[in-house]
Amino acid sequence: METRENQLTSQESLKIITDMINKTKTSINQSSFHLLFWGWLIFFCSLSEFILWKFTSYATPWYVWFFVVPGVIVSLVYGFAKGRKDSAWTYATGLYVWNWIGFLFAALVLYFISMKNMESFGPFILTLAGMPLLMSGCILKFRPLIIGAFTFWIFALAARFGGPVVSALSTPAAMLTGDLIPGYLLKRKNSHDTV
Amino acid sequence: MTQFKDLDPLLHSQLRLAVVSLLMNVEVADFSFLQEKTGATSGNLSIQITKLKEAGYIEVTKKFSGNYPQTLCRITPLGRQKFVDYVNALKEYLNPEKNI
Repeated sequence: METRENQLTSQESLKIITDMINKTKTSINQSSFHLLFWGWLIFFCSLSEFILWKFTSYATPWYVWFFVVPGVIVSLVYGFAKGRKDSAWTYATGLYVWNWIGFLFAALVLYFISMKNMESFGPFILTLAGMPLLMSGCILKFRPLIIGAFTFWIFALAARFGGPVVSALSTPAAMLTGDLIPGYLLKRKNSHDTV
Repeated sequence: MTQFKDLDPLLHSQLRLAVVSLLMNVEVADFSFLQEKTGATSGNLSIQITKLKEAGYIEVTKKFSGNYPQTLCRITPLGRQKFVDYVNALKEYLNPEKNI
């Protein structure tokens, strides 16, 4: 782009402004990584807990959830390292990141609140997780994530009112339909957009 | 008779207008981002950024990211106001009958 001083017509000025706004439209490069990372981690933790509970005599199947702790560290380190390399930080990026950091703290609070009655934790965390998922879908203008949020809430009801087996399988089912499928669709969309 | 506002001469330039339009939509952007989006040469972009900085329209911070120098730009409240004024003046040129 050259520098033309004071020779622009109104239409040319308007076109420059419109073009530049279009070039800063929401693209959050990291978004699909975190969705897929957490999708698979929670999917395997919840499914492993179900298998250990249903098909083995292992006394403490919930120990598998300790994998979430290194998961948080990996996610934070990756996000921080990638964020430092980003050449621009948009308002949408900030909203997206704080949306999920807020969820992380809310999930921690919910864990401490539910410690004496962990059976209620599953439906509550699915209900809570639906919100940042819905917000992410709105920020990225990506409908599968919005639909994903609603599937989380449907599986939260199933986890609360279904039997023990339905309840135990609700979390992996929610992760598969509400997080992993939209996550892969988003990854495909991002790779198409950057070609 | 329609009274047209003067368009800000600092913004009424192709590259400076592009830079300010980009910075209106991001919290912070580095030099390479602005260069990639505007397609300008680094020398020309550098000159225009300096002009915007001297006028107080943008803030420029230099730091190191790893071993590489990084120039970060963000729009100031003055720059934001000047851009809004520029767009309002532009609207008058585009739709003069609405401003009689």
